[in-house]
Amino acid sequence: MTPLLLRAWSRYLRLTTQWPSIGTIVPFIPLIVAWWIVTEMRAFPPAFLPGPAEVVRSFGSLVYTGVLPEYLQDSLVRLAIGSFWGIALGVPLGILVGLSQPAHKALWPVLLFFQAIGDIAWLPILVIWFGYGLTTMTVIIVYTVIFPVVLNTVLGVRSIPVNMHRAAQSLGASRTRMLWEVVLPGALPNIMTGLRNGLGYGWRALIATEIIVGTSGIGFLMFDARRAGSVVEILLGMIILGSLWYIVDSWILAPIERATGQRWGLVTK
Amino acid sequence: MRHRLSSLLWFCAPFAVLLALWAILVPHFDVNPRLFPHLDSVAQAGLEGIKDGTLVRHVGASLLRVTVGTVLALLLAIPLGIAMGVSPTVSSFLTPPFRFFSVLAGIAWIPLASLWFGYGFGAITFVIFNAVFFIVTYNTLLGVSTIPLHVRNAAASLGAGRWAMLTEVLLPGALPNIVTGIRTGLGFAWRGLIAAEMIATNVGLGYMLFVARDFYKTEVIVLGMIVIGVLWLLLDRLLLAPIERATSERWGMVQRV
Amino acid sequence: MKSLTIRNLSKTYFDVHAGANVTAVRDLSLEVPAGEFVSIVGPSGCGKTTLLNMIAGFIPHTGGEILVGGHPVKGPGPDRGVVFQSFALFPWRTVLDNVAFGPKMRGVGRAEREKIAHEYLALAKLSAAAGRYPNELSGGMQQRVGVVRALANDPDVLLMDEPFASVDAQTRMTLQEELTRIWEQKRPTVIFITHDVPEAVFLGNRVVALSKGRVLEEIAVDLPRPRVWDDLNEDDRFKALSGRVLQLVRSA
Repeated sequence: MTPLLLRAWSRYLRLTTQWPSIGTIVPFIPLIVAWWIVTEMRAFPPAFLPGPAEVVRSFGSLVYTGVLPEYLQDSLVRLAIGSFWGIALGVPLGILVGLSQPAHKALWPVLLFFQAIGDIAWLPILVIWFGYGLTTMTVIIVYTVIFPVVLNTVLGVRSIPVNMHRAAQSLGASRTRMLWEVVLPGALPNIMTGLRNGLGYGWRALIATEIIVGTSGIGFLMFDARRAGSVVEILLGMIILGSLWYIVDSWILAPIERATGQRWGLVTK
Repeated sequence: MRHRLSSLLWFCAPFAVLLALWAILVPHFDVNPRLFPHLDSVAQAGLEGIKDGTLVRHVGASLLRVTVGTVLALLLAIPLGIAMGVSPTVSSFLTPPFRFFSVLAGIAWIPLASLWFGYGFGAITFVIFNAVFFIVTYNTLLGVSTIPLHVRNAAASLGAGRWAMLTEVLLPGALPNIVTGIRTGLGFAWRGLIAAEMIATNVGLGYMLFVARDFYKTEVIVLGMIVIGVLWLLLDRLLLAPIERATSERWGMVQRV
Repeated sequence: MKSLTIRNLSKTYFDVHAGANVTAVRDLSLEVPAGEFVSIVGPSGCGKTTLLNMIAGFIPHTGGEILVGGHPVKGPGPDRGVVFQSFALFPWRTVLDNVAFGPKMRGVGRAEREKIAHEYLALAKLSAAAGRYPNELSGGMQQRVGVVRALANDPDVLLMDEPFASVDAQTRMTLQEELTRIWEQKRPTVIFITHDVPEAVFLGNRVVALSKGRVLEEIAVDLPRPRVWDDLNEDDRFKALSGRVLQLVRSA
């Protein structure tokens, strides 16, 4: 490495420690440049791999016509509704299965099995039951989110040391207080992990559902483009999905997970 | 041995209850078979599928795609991940793009894959390949970069050459992360497979489900769901989870909370 | 402060690994008047932790009775504060909230319970750590919090299960001196379980040696207070008492 490059690199490193977001954005620049060069050189036919400029142009026109904001909103609202119910049902169920031995014996194997069936496999029968529409999508997302949440909540509840329960009891906590004061906070880091996993599966399920039975949403946008043979819009959809999820995951979910687990010392690393 | 047998029985008991409920309740309430099938018609569909070979063909096609896609992905991902992870500079620079691609991995590639490769084996195998590839590469990268420097220094001062460093330090050190990556990646790949097969092929479990929907053959749909569930449960619980436990927990490198 | 009476206590349970009934505590009787500090020593497996868990109400006893202030023990309750070897602080609560936990369960209002907590934290010289999380403290400081958390709930009896076994030797001596100081101020009834003989003698008014689930011997410790290690290390009476208890325990 020449001294000049080295100096530039060290300046870059100092910059990234000051503004960590620069460190996450800059590495994409060479990637985009490489993409641009490959398409400019006509290594692939443009119908197969359009360049960055075209994708940006299509982004502009889809925003201008209002299609993209509307589809994005549809997808996010579906995800939010599904996640809400996934958490609202999953956490109590997880606490029940985690605390009660009979419930664990009866439900744990069944939970594992239904998790294994996987969200998408439910699509055909859900379409028969509920038709094409929001109900089918919501059920799929709830189904996807709920299992990681339940299974991780169970793990979390069961990982609370018995002395923690005993300490609270001998300080005078009643059974209901214990739920609120010991079980829920003790399981919270795991619940967050479950939620993060669940949403990771959840938005994939949403995309698949929108592709297969959708009439709007980012997944529908991509598959509609696929039908029309427009790779530009497919790539645009992928980039939006990737960026969106990257931001949600690394700027919202991961910090929350860290904030609970690490400060409390319940999670190492 | 007896302990394992009894825990297996305990594991199966809830399913026996579910099956019994199904056998009793569905005929009792006279549920329309176009909405939910009777237990015996599902069993019959299963037997027929095995007899005329269609079920075997669909399962075989799905498993072949998963195997080919996964093996190809692992062959590329692990060496690449290790190579990138060795240098902290390179790995810190490449982590964001790989993270980007690993959050995108799987289902979102279906439209592009089906355009690039056309409907069929190629497109579906590609979806599986990229689900496993990006997640395993990302996890290998993380795994190698979290090996403490003093462990590498210790190996070097004990006389480890480049090859020994790779096989004795980097690979085992990253293994817990690699296995976790494989488990997550396959989870996405399996769902991606089912989704892709519904869209882009004419054979496979996903296709079998989706076609049955056109004819309201709920017994075939439910049969397919059970097969999908059992296959994944076997794969995940009997193969992946034990390997993950054996590496990470035994070595005490990952703390299970 | 109340007295603790144990009459003909026994504990038998089925050991799944051994495949047989095991008697951990048999026919044990002990009388602890209000305000006394009793150390219980014995080798591992002598039943001392089982005894403490039964007094705390964490596990049921199979014979005899345990009375706190004349009332039989049925399960855990705030009349018996417990200090654990593993600290068992709530990692999701600050030090202040940990100490205020007991009063909060009693329904004490926020201002009042925080006042109580601050008072007890000051007693253990922990005021500066009030806003921190347990994970951010050293082991010694965590256990100080464990002790004042139990005390702040104003229990009739304080039960301590090898509380200083997992901190380093230097810190342990400081904690022992602090505990005697706090005890002299507050005079709670204390049952202190340990396998460390000098610790038992240093802290207690009385040392009870336990073996195979039975009381081997009770030895009164009439050393003057306040006790500090600098004085007692060279004290002949302390050495004689420790020697005697050590002999008892080793012969057990």
